[in-house]
Amino acid sequence: MRCGTFRREEMRVLLGLWLVLLLSSSGLALDGTEILKKVDANLQPESFESYRKLINIEPNGAKREFLLYTLKKGHDKIASLFLSPASEKGRATLRLGDNMWLYIPNVGKPIRITSLQSVVGGVFNNADIMRLDYNVEYDVRALEEKGNEFVLELKAKTGAVAYDRLKMWVDKKILVPTKIECFAATGLLIKTLYFKEMKPFDDGILRPSVNETDSPLYKGYQSIIVYARVKKRIVPDEVFTLEFLSRIETIR
Amino acid sequence: MAWLTIFLIVLHLQLFVARLWAQDKYQVDLSDIEKEIQRAADKPYSLGGFLEFQPQIFGIDRDSAFSRLQFFRQRQDSTFEQYNFRLRLDGSYKKDPFSVFFKTDTHVRNDFQGWDEDAKLFEAYLSFKPVSGLALDAGKKVMKWGKGYAWNPASFIDRPKNPEDPLHDLLASTVATADYIRSFNGPLKTTTLTTALIPVYRYVNAKFGELYHLNFASKLYFLLYDTDLDFMVFTGSSRTTRYGFDFSKNLTTNLEIHGEFAVVNNFKLMSIDQRGLTSVRESEALSYLLGLRYLTEMETTYILEYYRNGTGFTKNQLEGFVDFVDAGDLSFRTTGDDGAIRRAKQLAKGAYGRPNPGQHYLYFRVSQKEPFDILYFTPALTSILNATDGSLVLIPELSYSPVTNLEVRLRGAILSGGKGTEYGEKQNDYRVELRLRYYFQL
Repeated sequence: MRCGTFRREEMRVLLGLWLVLLLSSSGLALDGTEILKKVDANLQPESFESYRKLINIEPNGAKREFLLYTLKKGHDKIASLFLSPASEKGRATLRLGDNMWLYIPNVGKPIRITSLQSVVGGVFNNADIMRLDYNVEYDVRALEEKGNEFVLELKAKTGAVAYDRLKMWVDKKILVPTKIECFAATGLLIKTLYFKEMKPFDDGILRPSVNETDSPLYKGYQSIIVYARVKKRIVPDEVFTLEFLSRIETIR
Repeated sequence: MAWLTIFLIVLHLQLFVARLWAQDKYQVDLSDIEKEIQRAADKPYSLGGFLEFQPQIFGIDRDSAFSRLQFFRQRQDSTFEQYNFRLRLDGSYKKDPFSVFFKTDTHVRNDFQGWDEDAKLFEAYLSFKPVSGLALDAGKKVMKWGKGYAWNPASFIDRPKNPEDPLHDLLASTVATADYIRSFNGPLKTTTLTTALIPVYRYVNAKFGELYHLNFASKLYFLLYDTDLDFMVFTGSSRTTRYGFDFSKNLTTNLEIHGEFAVVNNFKLMSIDQRGLTSVRESEALSYLLGLRYLTEMETTYILEYYRNGTGFTKNQLEGFVDFVDAGDLSFRTTGDDGAIRRAKQLAKGAYGRPNPGQHYLYFRVSQKEPFDILYFTPALTSILNATDGSLVLIPELSYSPVTNLEVRLRGAILSGGKGTEYGEKQNDYRVELRLRYYFQL
């Protein structure tokens, strides 16, 4: 009997410990997820239009620039139109969830493209250029506080996401990322993104207007995205269709 | 080869120029970029295009049927050069809810026959968009129906593509169209109904078919379970009625399959035999295409397509035409009578002279994006095989963009086939071309 009582007490302690662990871990995930959602909201409105300048810089200093007009709606719809250079003008990209297409004016139908390809060359790939909110594609696995920053460990929800893991440094005061490291499933660091030049946009919220990246896989190469005229705008769902890709210019 | 030297010089020149521009660290000048974006955002018009210079060398197969048709009066050297200059202008202007678009093409050519110039209005149309899901267009417009890369049997309105250069712009037809798009939540994400009126009169779409008729075409598109589906129909008195269907789907993120089917009612095909006797076959012509596109992790793209051309000639019919050319050529050279060969030349401007007049074809293209870490450089190899007679064309290609807006493309075409085969009877044994294209935007 003594032995049985001991077991019951032991069970209670174990159960208590398990409950404490469960509650603390769910509380951690909730905090991390909330932080990530706020980071997403602070990086860009849920539905918006914007102009973006992409700059690819090669090790020898040569650079190539692209100007894009972008529309985003909800969590999974993004369309972009190339305005310059002249050789790319009229090209358009569409992302619906994990599906991505590229429309080239002389080619009849939009062709399907993948997240790790790059329609502009350089360090940014299609997933960076047509980025969905981080909380749509990633779960928070760990949260750590380091001085003035939170450090979030993120894990991709599915295998279709471009990077398997992210490590995100978030400014505690304004809840925007300052740096994100992107890792492959093998643990290989693919690239690092830096968020700079905080600026108030249309809705008065301070957002980083410059996004820089470099990669150990592309030594000496650098790519930059500069955001401008980010405005809340809700357009009909019909805009985010293959048939509309050739007409995006008409609603700009 | 001089042009290969030019290509390599351009490649190295880029590195030299880039070094001159080199700097330690690029600094973003936000105010400059914002000004540029402001200018682009507020501009209601666009005007741009490209300038192109394209020298070509043709290696003539002097025994082939099409070579003898072209040069039967004057024997040509085994090679000749051609210099092409092209100015393409395109522009748009929008004032809600209207937009106008245009594209012009001016082409100047010089070869052993002297100078030749041609200016065309490729596209020019007005678009009216009263609401986001509805667009009404009128004017000269390319419709771009079909999912095939090299061929589009279900493209009932546009002129046929050149499978050796499928990205080349097409001359538009004059049409009035309406597009109505609806989006949904669920497995069916999008439907689009496109309707088109195609007038065929003396000065409007005169080469489309029988004159003085108004024709109608329609396409219904669905994005269903992540699959693109189109159903097309064309009816009218300028051409016989035809129906089509196409599909496209990504089986995995890097493997896409597509297909196209078309039925042409009461299709008439006239063929000729060695003696010049013609026969007309009328049938329901079924054409179809099946293809796939595969992208590897190393960014190598493979495109493979099989095309069954139901409106094409049989092997015997193509051989009959070649025999007729032989007989006409012999008659001209022995008696001076050019009647038969001039008749053959006229036929060559029609169905026999189409890019692919046979019935079974295989298209294969492999291209590698930026090999050896050379940015903006893409080598490719394309082959088109006439699966009936075994003749083929091989097209190696190097394309490179050394600086923004400048494209350099070096390309060859090697034709191979025996007597009486499609590629064996083409005018050339080989072709080499260099294309320098500079894009501009005003």
